[in-house]
Amino acid sequence: MSRNLRRRGVVFILALGLVAAVAAGLVAAGSPGRPATAQAASAGQAVTVQRAHAGSATPTLKRRIVLLTIGSDSGAPRFGRGGSMESGRADALQLVVLDTVRRRGTVVSFPRDSYVPIPGHGTSKINAAMAFGGPPLLVQTFERLTGLTIDYYALTSFDGLTDIVNKVGGVQVNVDMNLRDHFAGAFLDKGRQTLRGSQALAYARARKTLPGGDFDRSRHQGQLLLGGLGTFQRQVAKDPTRVMAWLAVLRDEVKTDLPFPELLRLALLATKVPPGRFQNIAVPSVAGSAGGASVVRLLPGAYSLFARLRAGKLS
Amino acid sequence: MIVAARGNSRLPLRWSAVLAAAVLLAAGCTSGGRSEGGQATTPTTGAAQAQPLRIRLVATAKVPPGGLSAERAARRAAPGLERFLDRYLSAAFVDAAGGEAGWDGLLGLFDKPVRASARKQLDALSLGGAAPTVTAVRPGQATAKAVVLYGDQKPEAATVRVSFDGTADTAQGSGPVHLRSVLQLLATGDSWRIAAFDSRTGPPR
Repeated sequence: MSRNLRRRGVVFILALGLVAAVAAGLVAAGSPGRPATAQAASAGQAVTVQRAHAGSATPTLKRRIVLLTIGSDSGAPRFGRGGSMESGRADALQLVVLDTVRRRGTVVSFPRDSYVPIPGHGTSKINAAMAFGGPPLLVQTFERLTGLTIDYYALTSFDGLTDIVNKVGGVQVNVDMNLRDHFAGAFLDKGRQTLRGSQALAYARARKTLPGGDFDRSRHQGQLLLGGLGTFQRQVAKDPTRVMAWLAVLRDEVKTDLPFPELLRLALLATKVPPGRFQNIAVPSVAGSAGGASVVRLLPGAYSLFARLRAGKLS
Repeated sequence: MIVAARGNSRLPLRWSAVLAAAVLLAAGCTSGGRSEGGQATTPTTGAAQAQPLRIRLVATAKVPPGGLSAERAARRAAPGLERFLDRYLSAAFVDAAGGEAGWDGLLGLFDKPVRASARKQLDALSLGGAAPTVTAVRPGQATAKAVVLYGDQKPEAATVRVSFDGTADTAQGSGPVHLRSVLQLLATGDSWRIAAFDSRTGPPR
């Protein structure tokens, strides 16, 4: 066989191989014996691997949490209030009792002039406890008074409250009366409305022109707290990243002994506890006097309220 | 191979014949494999197209006054978040195929107060009950958008919107798998834990 003939033979055999390979591929692609699902898959028709599922969860905390929120009359330079928040008098006092299992709670507001025993300082107005010994003594005073263990405190000032409300874009509150209080600068009409920082502070401070005086003021402070909770929930429902925005504001404006992981868990839990599942109660009390000074004396009903809170019967 | 054969034209005829037979055999094997149906084919196809999981993360940060700039804080937090999300998506989808790995690795990424809830809702967080039927998951697009709460020189928490699309191979064929989640994360020093979630899986809506 000549060299040329041998070359032609090689080319012929290779060409034959190529044709055979292509033909085999075509036959395979059109094979009628293949299972239907495989045909669908190779044709780009997808099979359903997983059905639709949706789920959500917030932290499950298996205990009652008691938080004391404190509004100090100091540490607010914009209001001409110098000093530190911790060394001032506690003029707004709310005990927040949260049942994390049943996801309901109680806000108990205390008049600042409540005349109570302060450990190491005899009997005095409750707002003086913080001036005597900072938040720890105030917490101790509340624990002795109520028999509840206070887990954490959260403290802010006039400036702090104003900034918190402004930074979160206002707080929606159902204002329960027409207010024309020149002393606190509160000029609000009755009804649901979104309050700016200065309006929220005025609503929390107004007392002199209110029919119930200190008692109405205490109730309004509780309304603001729950209004803040409702505003937080509505914002987070629309945009979950608002949790970080609120935490950033609280971090900048509130002093607390709440460790950050617990603060985050509580904030996440708070997204699922509607304000309607909270009771807003002013501690039963009556105006009186002591040593010539106006004070508020707790009524027997206050102590039965504390007993019910201890037993977990309110929250 | 044909090019190589042409280039090697001095091969003796019998070697050319052997080469041609090899080409035929190879062609036959390939097409024969295809003709066996989806069971053998799908994973092969999948393996050919498999790409590593790659998460495209966009992060912003909220910083305390007087601290890092928000941009710098976001840049610092991003690598750790990416690593965490990679671990999550790997445990939930890519490494979950076959179901042999179980879910302990995935559940270990959750903060304790939410772990029991996560265990009950694995179907909304991962391949879940479909995992044993899946032979492989090929990651597609994975994106995340994070808002990081930055504290004193370190991240403290973050909200992350995660979106993952992939293709899962089963004995019956291949199909898409999806995850759309909002994860609330707690920083734990060197990593993160999921403190709350709102999540869905399954076919696209």
